[in-house]
Amino acid sequence: MPDSTTTLRPPLVTGDKTLSDVTRDICEPMARRPTALWWGAFSISVAALLMGVVAVTYQIATGIGVWGLNKTVGWAFDITNFVFWVGIGHAGTLISAVLFLFRQKWRTAVNRAAEAMTLFAVMCAGIFPLIHMGRPWLAFWMMPYPNTRGPLWVNFKSPLLWDVFAISTYLLISAVFWYVGLLPDLATIRDRSAPGWRRRIFSLLCLGWDGSARTWHRYETVYLLLAGLATPLVFSVHTIVSMDFATAVIPGWHATIFPPYFVAGAIFSGLAMVLTLMIIARKVMSLEDYITPMHIDRMCKLMLSMGCLVGLAYGTEFFIAFYGGNGFEQFVFLNRAFGPFAWAYWTMVVCNVGIPQLLWFRRVRASLPLVFVIAIVVNIGMWFERFVIIVTSLHRDFLPSSWAGYAPTIVEIATFIGSFGLFFTCFLIFCRIAPVIAIAEVKGAAHLKKPHAPQRESGAEKAA
Amino acid sequence: MPQSPSLSAAARRSLSVVSVVSLAILASGLYFAPERAWSNLLAAALFLLTIGLGGTLFLALALITGAGWHVAFRRVPEAMAMIVPLTGGALLVVLALGAQYYAWHPHGDVGTFWFKQFWLTPMFWFARSAAYVIIWSVLGALLVYRSRKQDTAPVNVQQHTGNVRLAAIFLAVYAITFSLASVDWLMALDPMWYSTIWGIYNFAGMMVATLAVIVILCIVLSAPGRPLHGVFTTEHLHDLGKLLLSFSCFWMYIWFSQYMLIWYANIPEETSHFVTRTIGPWGPVVVASLVLNWLAPFFILLPRPSKRSRSVMLRVAVLILVGRWVDVWLMIFPSTLGDTPAFGIWELAAIACVVTAAPLLLARSFASAPPVPVHDPFLPESLHYHA
Repeated sequence: MPDSTTTLRPPLVTGDKTLSDVTRDICEPMARRPTALWWGAFSISVAALLMGVVAVTYQIATGIGVWGLNKTVGWAFDITNFVFWVGIGHAGTLISAVLFLFRQKWRTAVNRAAEAMTLFAVMCAGIFPLIHMGRPWLAFWMMPYPNTRGPLWVNFKSPLLWDVFAISTYLLISAVFWYVGLLPDLATIRDRSAPGWRRRIFSLLCLGWDGSARTWHRYETVYLLLAGLATPLVFSVHTIVSMDFATAVIPGWHATIFPPYFVAGAIFSGLAMVLTLMIIARKVMSLEDYITPMHIDRMCKLMLSMGCLVGLAYGTEFFIAFYGGNGFEQFVFLNRAFGPFAWAYWTMVVCNVGIPQLLWFRRVRASLPLVFVIAIVVNIGMWFERFVIIVTSLHRDFLPSSWAGYAPTIVEIATFIGSFGLFFTCFLIFCRIAPVIAIAEVKGAAHLKKPHAPQRESGAEKAA
Repeated sequence: MPQSPSLSAAARRSLSVVSVVSLAILASGLYFAPERAWSNLLAAALFLLTIGLGGTLFLALALITGAGWHVAFRRVPEAMAMIVPLTGGALLVVLALGAQYYAWHPHGDVGTFWFKQFWLTPMFWFARSAAYVIIWSVLGALLVYRSRKQDTAPVNVQQHTGNVRLAAIFLAVYAITFSLASVDWLMALDPMWYSTIWGIYNFAGMMVATLAVIVILCIVLSAPGRPLHGVFTTEHLHDLGKLLLSFSCFWMYIWFSQYMLIWYANIPEETSHFVTRTIGPWGPVVVASLVLNWLAPFFILLPRPSKRSRSVMLRVAVLILVGRWVDVWLMIFPSTLGDTPAFGIWELAAIACVVTAAPLLLARSFASAPPVPVHDPFLPESLHYHA
């Protein structure tokens, strides 16, 4: 029954491709000169990045007093941006590692780009705590090594230090995972390049890949092991980020649900960013046959489920605040929903829990413009989630005489825009120098209609 | 295919006798040692109900993720889903008998506890509990009914899409109702204590136990001469082993998140829960729970050969079920009995009751339908499945 199998197991690659078509379609955009569209996007990104560089230079030179913080709200824009960017990275690891272990073959269309996105997002995230230190040139003090600073030693009891370890481990493993995944594709580019400097660079980068059965065997073993190692990292990084807040005794911050709730939120925001980028990339780079509506549909479903989990966590927190009977806890939640930052709270609820519910409908998931808009809305909502958690829990503390407001200064906004500049500059360069789709993995996962050799049939096809 | 019934008549008879006798002992315990007997009854009912509900959850998750691998043994979680109405009913009887243990006694002005006062109003509390059980029973029965209806008609993709839709509805409803139920049935036993992760913690425990039961049933039912012989293969077992391993880790992760955050913040109304459980005679029981639910399964299941070995998987699954029992015990007993654990006839009777009632109920519901969903569109894929 061909009808039932194609409906239930739609092809991963459309357009009747052969194996060599796959290589050509993905490698060719890299060999061509950049389009005007690329140059336009690149100029805007670099401009934003430069603005960030100016802002960062200014605030380091002047001191972080140029931020809008006050003695009550000691964390606001910078930590919001930090958590926002760390969260974005999580979808990359989820797609590349967790979905690999679950043998979700559709991941092959988006994993390469999502992993690259992870690296860039973690880089953006790292900027903010670094600046917040005030004296970033002393950042190496965070590393526990024998030194001559006497009693100055890192505080192992502080979750902020755990962050340093968790995020640097995450960056390291994500980078290794990404690079190992790239090896066969780098070899493909080497083989396609005419002799010259380009070929020499790619020969070095692919570490002498020879395509033998033994190489493939070793490669697949390493890849599986790295996926196993990266999977706990999907959980650990945002768990520890959540502990920056949850280990405190501040009402609104201290909640046991924070670790899984932050992990779900991180994956949610990361998927939104992957969708945002991929919907544009497939169009601009003519990859419609590889990133098909089916891929978009599946990411939408994942995003919807994460959005529902996040909604469940919002509800649980509110419920327990009232059930638990702690008056301060109740005040914080009422203050979130009806206080001076109510606009931020309701933006968060509408963007994260309300609007994504549209994704229940197949027709919405099939409409790329709608999905694109929803993904942007989720990105906004998830930024506001961190803002709401951080600022509304602080700005009205136990002592009403110290209540304060918070508004970001132009320097903070410029820094945030600068981080977007960094992210998109890196991503645009990535699109030019590496295959955005894992060629070897797509070939392995997709059952192409016109292969070089007879393909192995899956169970469903055999029965049909 | 020739097959013998999952339980012989003699086995069924002796199991029934033991379960009825142990239930009678527990019932008499309500007179002789009311608190202990009731706590044991709650543990038993909750243990059985969450296994059934876990079966429904497994079905729904498999449908919504478009899984094909599990179809060969899907009648096993379906059989589990079918015990929800009976075990849920039993739980409601236990709750009705023990409403006093959930009593919330406000001292004077309720103040900031007005919501708790309202939420734990006995009638409202019981009506909610009944509503959860009814909702789960109805949605679970619908899922099973639709799966069985597929057997009689040719493969139909539209019908399958309908099942997926139903699974989505169940999952959304389940997430909310189960979170509330774990508050109502367990957290409320200790009226001053609260923890926002509680629902997820209960979900994790339920999922691990469910997978363990699926593993045991599949291994037993695929022995030579049994209905799933040759249908349930080592490949399926391997994947169940991976799931068991990952959910065991997930349980540990959630346990740790809750413990660590409460320990670190050290707020009296929160730490009370762990002070009772980790200081004094309950301490070793907590350690046992961690070893049984995570440490031992983790190291045993990590190597590939153990996930593909029937005997190893069977033993690990039993270990995990013992761990689940200890976990359920720890959620209930320190709240109802206080600082000292006790183990005697009432505890033995509860364990005997669960160990005998579960196979009886599950064998009966498994026998009520063809052992393999023959017209499921994913069946061929599942039969030729390679991990």
